[in-house]
Amino acid sequence: MDELLLSKVRLGVVAELLNFDWIAFSELARSLEVSNGNLGAHLSKLVDAGYVEEEKSFVNRRPLTRYRLTGRGRDAFTSHVAQLQSLLASAN
Amino acid sequence: MERIGTSEARDHIEMVNRILAESQQRLCTGGEYFLVWGIGSAFVTILFALENNGLVPGAALWSVPVVLALCALFSIYRSRATRAALARSSLLQREFFNVLWLTIGLAFVANAAAYRIFAGVASAAVWSIAEAIVLLYIGMHGNRRAQIAGVLVVVSLIAANFVAPPLAGYVLGAGMLVGYGGFGVGELLARE
Repeated sequence: MDELLLSKVRLGVVAELLNFDWIAFSELARSLEVSNGNLGAHLSKLVDAGYVEEEKSFVNRRPLTRYRLTGRGRDAFTSHVAQLQSLLASAN
Repeated sequence: MERIGTSEARDHIEMVNRILAESQQRLCTGGEYFLVWGIGSAFVTILFALENNGLVPGAALWSVPVVLALCALFSIYRSRATRAALARSSLLQREFFNVLWLTIGLAFVANAAAYRIFAGVASAAVWSIAEAIVLLYIGMHGNRRAQIAGVLVVVSLIAANFVAPPLAGYVLGAGMLVGYGGFGVGELLARE
């Protein structure tokens, strides 16, 4: 299994990003119901691993940080979820 | 290798399924753009038809670039204003914008660079086709109003082919107004 995606928050982030072109930091925090600090730490690990891309910009003079899933992240997610499902299937 | 128990794995899978179920592929169209461009394109088409039939002086055609510029300015202003409030953008949304810009871009090229081929009412018909493609693409993703609006534009295109030539521009303009602009009104009312 993918070590990085064993964390529920990181798995949630990747699942959230799966069907989206990008999601803003604040929206991810709201959707996953985690604190900004906690989410920031998890996102850093995903960015460092190349699973997620970070893009910082200013919109109407306000900072906007948004995240996008990479191909590597998508592959890791698919493989990890398949392994979770096979674990559950073998347990049943 | 496995550092996760079955109950935790089940919990993770349930979370993933819930997130994926909630992230349904919705296409946000922005009714105001369709309303403004529906009115703008219908105005231009009908004005050309009126001028062609000798009902308005040729000088009235100077309003065409002004109207198109106003539509473009509105689109730029509105997209900037809404961009700040946008928290997420779906892959489907990105695909929609690709289709939108490709269609409008090709229609513009046909009008600007192939004006000898697409002269007169053919030029308006190119825009009708572009509008129908955009509406039917939205309709393909489950928007019933867009399906009806797209069919209306196509029907206006076919009808324009069979009416008396001086009326063809009016029919195309009506299709743009009712189809494209009407879809915009429908989206705005649905949002309320």
